Amino acid sequence: MPIEHIHTYLVHPGKGAHEAPRIRGNTLSLDGKMFPLLNEIYVKSDHDCPIEISFNHREDGTQQNPCRDLIIAYLGEPNVAHGRHLAERLEKVTTHRSGLGLLFLLAGTEGRDHKVVISRFPADVGILAEESERALTVEFLERVFMKRATTYKAVAYQDASLKAGFWLGRAVDKQINSDMVQLSNYWIADFLDSDFRTTAAAGTKRLAVALRDAARKSGDVAVKSEIAAAVTLGPSLAGQRLTINEFSNRFGLSTGARDALAGEIKNPSLLDERFQFDAKEFAKQVPYRSIELNTGVILTADAAQFDKVVQQEVIDPREGKVRLSAEGKVMNDKLTKVK
Amino acid sequence: MSDLEDEYRRRFPAILVPLAEALEGHLKGTLQGEARIDRISARAKATDRFIAKANATEGGESKYTEPLREIQDQVGARIVTFYLSDVERIAAIIERYYRRVESRVVVPDSESEFGYFGRHYILLVPSDLMPSGDDKSLAPEFFELQIKTLFQHAWAEANHDLGYKPQSAVLSRDARRRIAYTSAQAWGADRMFNELFREFGENASVPSDGH
Repeated sequence: MPIEHIHTYLVHPGKGAHEAPRIRGNTLSLDGKMFPLLNEIYVKSDHDCPIEISFNHREDGTQQNPCRDLIIAYLGEPNVAHGRHLAERLEKVTTHRSGLGLLFLLAGTEGRDHKVVISRFPADVGILAEESERALTVEFLERVFMKRATTYKAVAYQDASLKAGFWLGRAVDKQINSDMVQLSNYWIADFLDSDFRTTAAAGTKRLAVALRDAARKSGDVAVKSEIAAAVTLGPSLAGQRLTINEFSNRFGLSTGARDALAGEIKNPSLLDERFQFDAKEFAKQVPYRSIELNTGVILTADAAQFDKVVQQEVIDPREGKVRLSAEGKVMNDKLTKVK
Repeated sequence: MSDLEDEYRRRFPAILVPLAEALEGHLKGTLQGEARIDRISARAKATDRFIAKANATEGGESKYTEPLREIQDQVGARIVTFYLSDVERIAAIIERYYRRVESRVVVPDSESEFGYFGRHYILLVPSDLMPSGDDKSLAPEFFELQIKTLFQHAWAEANHDLGYKPQSAVLSRDARRRIAYTSAQAWGADRMFNELFREFGENASVPSDGH
């Protein structure tokens, strides 16, 4: 079903402001020049908003969230007044760094479901060039709102129940890994009062266990080595918000290693689920890295430190022969039944 | 049979029972190696219990208008620990790995009352366990998790059992007082064991059996 209601609001930075300006809003028609652009945002939201999020509960643990309440009130009666409350909420968390934005609320129904897409276009400057037969005139334009790939933000919610549903949504926010905490928290944490559907520990554990099992099960030594190297470098991602596929891209894993990793993830959609990388959890799940030689030698070390404490030198590339060396004081000398 | 009961009966074996089994495994995996856990279990809510809850009223009105969405303990899990301090330790681990939409410590309303005690959560079903395809829309988004001590669990089970006896619809004042007395005893035992554990055993950690 197409969009049934479109409301828009100009949202100024209002974080910390004593008196925020009254937000003006308007209802847009469903057949104007802007409609095709907004309709595309609405229709493609499933694809364009890949980050699964859920609302936080109240600080006292109660099952309630102020932003969810506003969205449900808006969907119950989609009008300018109800939508303005969402715009006011956004204004209160908008800093001057995030700047002026144009907020669109796109509401409709999909079968039994209510659906809303909330989209923020950041303000930009532009130049309007008009050509006539005699001359070219140019004009500087302020307050141009563009769907810029780097700063555009949106979120989509779809559910049949206005009473019990709407705890889960899908968002897009390209600034989520910004070095500026304010920017990275602005949309999902501050405005939506939400977090990723999967916690940092759960997402990191899923990745670490899949890497460990993929390396263990693979019969290809090159794949094992690639995965082991990625595990060694993994802790450098501490605090980053990423997906398993992005982890593979970051460390340039080959198709073979990617396939081995994907084979350990039950549901392929989880390869694109975003979580915050938790270095402590990663080290807990894959604490050690071992290399075994055909001579029976096994060398084990802390996974994150392995390349620093074990030196590898290729002595015969054709035969794949290497020399491993490590330095230190002997702390233990064990006889064991199993490897 | 009502449409609601018919629908729940359809979901019970197809969605809820497999989800409860998967969830039990998931919780056991998460808490593997943790000491002083007596048991971890998960179950799908039985159809008669679900229908009874769905028909509940509040102030003369139906409590639930959309029971299949509003009743969040269609899948319920329980973790039973030895001591009170274990409840908080396990709760902290659960909060690291599971997203919650509700978290509460259930205690009687007044300081002079004794009754049910426990730590309750409404958590999102981990995305690893969500069914794919058409079944996804039939699966609950949430499950309930209770974390209790052995004494809290024992009291709740006996109290629940007595509550379902035919004669228990109207309990006498004396019967209610006796039930409160058992809760007070369990509360006291939990406090004593926790103090003893802190005094003598906190640093001597023994892994639990079977998990």
